[in-house]
Amino acid sequence: MSLKDKYAIVGIGYTHQGRVPARTALSFYVEACANAIKDAGLRREDIDGLICYRHFQPAPGEREVTPYITAQRLGLAPKYLSQEANCARSHLHHALGVLEAGLCNYVVIAYADNALSSHRMIDEIDPDKAVFGQFGYPAEYAMAAQRAMHTFRTGPETWKEIAVGQRKWASLNPSAYFHDRPLTYEDYYNSKWAVEPFRVPDCCLVSDGGRAYVVTSVERARDLRHQPVVIMGIGQHNPSSYIDQSTCMAGPTGAKVAGETAFSMAGITLGDIDACEIYDCFTYTVEITLQDYGFFEPGEGQDWFKDGAIAPGGSLPVNTSGGQLSEAYFMGLTPLTEAAMQLMGRCGDRQLGPKTNTKEPEIILCSDNGATLQTHCCTILRRL
Amino acid sequence: MVYQKPLPQPNADTRPFWDGCKQHQLRFQKCRDCQHIRWPPSIICPLCYSQDTEWIVASGKGRIYTFTVYHQAFHKSFENDLPYVTAIVELDEGPRLLSNIVGCSPEEIRCDMPVEVIWEDINEDFTLPKFKVVT
Repeated sequence: MSLKDKYAIVGIGYTHQGRVPARTALSFYVEACANAIKDAGLRREDIDGLICYRHFQPAPGEREVTPYITAQRLGLAPKYLSQEANCARSHLHHALGVLEAGLCNYVVIAYADNALSSHRMIDEIDPDKAVFGQFGYPAEYAMAAQRAMHTFRTGPETWKEIAVGQRKWASLNPSAYFHDRPLTYEDYYNSKWAVEPFRVPDCCLVSDGGRAYVVTSVERARDLRHQPVVIMGIGQHNPSSYIDQSTCMAGPTGAKVAGETAFSMAGITLGDIDACEIYDCFTYTVEITLQDYGFFEPGEGQDWFKDGAIAPGGSLPVNTSGGQLSEAYFMGLTPLTEAAMQLMGRCGDRQLGPKTNTKEPEIILCSDNGATLQTHCCTILRRL
Repeated sequence: MVYQKPLPQPNADTRPFWDGCKQHQLRFQKCRDCQHIRWPPSIICPLCYSQDTEWIVASGKGRIYTFTVYHQAFHKSFENDLPYVTAIVELDEGPRLLSNIVGCSPEEIRCDMPVEVIWEDINEDFTLPKFKVVT
C-alpha cells in the first residue's frame, strides 16, 4: 500500500540560529522541539514519538545529547524513541514507519548543534586519512567535484550561480546568517580557496541552533492550526562505498534512484515541481543532485543555472531560505522545513508567489544526502 | 627530528598492508574464488562473499582518479607543506588508494595522469606510500 498523501508535516520549530554562544547543544534540541510542538498546536501529552540525530562528539563539558535526555527535558513520555546514527535523511522514513504501524500518532524529528561556538566539528580526525593530510568533508566533496570537472562541463562558472543565487534568497530572510552580506560574481572569484577547487562560498555554514518538525496522519492534520504539508512521495538510495572506491563522484549518485522512487510514488514528473529545497553542503552537491533528478543533462548545468534561474524571480527557485550555504546548517532539516514553511505560506519577504515574482507553490521537491554523495533521500511535499 | 604528523593506526584488518609498506610493497587482498582485488581490507570478498583470501603485491603503477589542493592547513603539522595535494590513485590492479601526489607543482596535476608509488620512511615503524607523476 502506498504511503502517498497519507502523512503530513504540521508544525515547525525554530531557535535562535547562526552564532549563538554560551548555549549547549541540548538546549537547542529542547527549544526546537518545544517550538515545533507549540507551532503545531499540540500539547506535550500528544507527542508519542521522538527521533533525534545521533550527536557528534559533545563539546567540552557537555554530555552526549540523546533523545532520552531530550524527552525528559521536554516532559515527554514517548512510546517510540530513536537516535538514528548518521543522518536526518532516515528520520522521516522511521517516522512514517511507526505512524503506518499504528505505534504512534504524532512524531517529532529534531536536529540541533552548537558547532560554531564550540568549534567541535573542525576537530574530527580520521586516522587513515589524516596520515596523508586529508581532513573532513570539504576535501572529499572537492575530490568529487574535481572528478566531475574532468567528466563533464562544470566548475566555478557553474557553482558561482548557485552561491550567488542562494545568497539572494538569504537577503530576503532575516534569520539567515548572510542576510546582510550580498555576494557578487566578483566576490565569489575573489574568495579564498577552502580546498581547491572549492572556494569558501562553495561551502556550507557551520551553525549554532536547532530545527524540529512534527509529522502526523493527514486525517489528524486537518484538525490542527496550519495548512498541512502532505508527503506525496519519498525515496532513499544508499550506493554506499568507501570514498576511495566511490564510483558516483560525478554521478549518478543516490539521487537518481531515490528521485525515481519518490516521483513514482507521487505519480508526478519534473514539470510539476514548483521549487526545490536541495541539501547543499557544497555548491556542487546542488548541481549533481538536480542533474541526477533529471533537470538537465551532465554538463548542461552551466547554462541551466545562469541568469539567476534559481534566485528570486527565477524560473525554478532553489533553496529559498538561503540554504545551508547562506542561511544555516541543520542537516536535511534546513531544506525540508523550508519547503514546509513555503507550502504553508509562512515565509514573509521570501515567500514564493507574487512577492518574489515566482509561482505560488503547490509542490516542492526536497533532498538530503550524506557522506560523500553516498546516501540520498528525496521527498516530495505538496499543499493539501 | 621527531615526525610530527598523524601516524597510521593499524588494526587487525589493515596491519598486513602497513607491514607491506614497511618493506616497500603495496599489498592488497585478492579473492581466490572470483579473483577480485579489494580495498579496504575485509574478512570477506564484497562481490562473492568468499573468505578464501591471499595478499598480493601490486605494481605500484596507476593513475590519478581525482585530487584536491590544500591551500590552508587543517592540522598544524601540515603547514609547511602548503600547498599540497591529496589524491585518490587508481592502481592498475583495480583498488583505489588515498595518498599524496608529490614532486611536482599542484598546477600541473590532472585527473587520469599516470603515477607510480614512491616510499616515504617516516620513522622506524612506518612507511607511507606516496605517488609521483610518471613522465
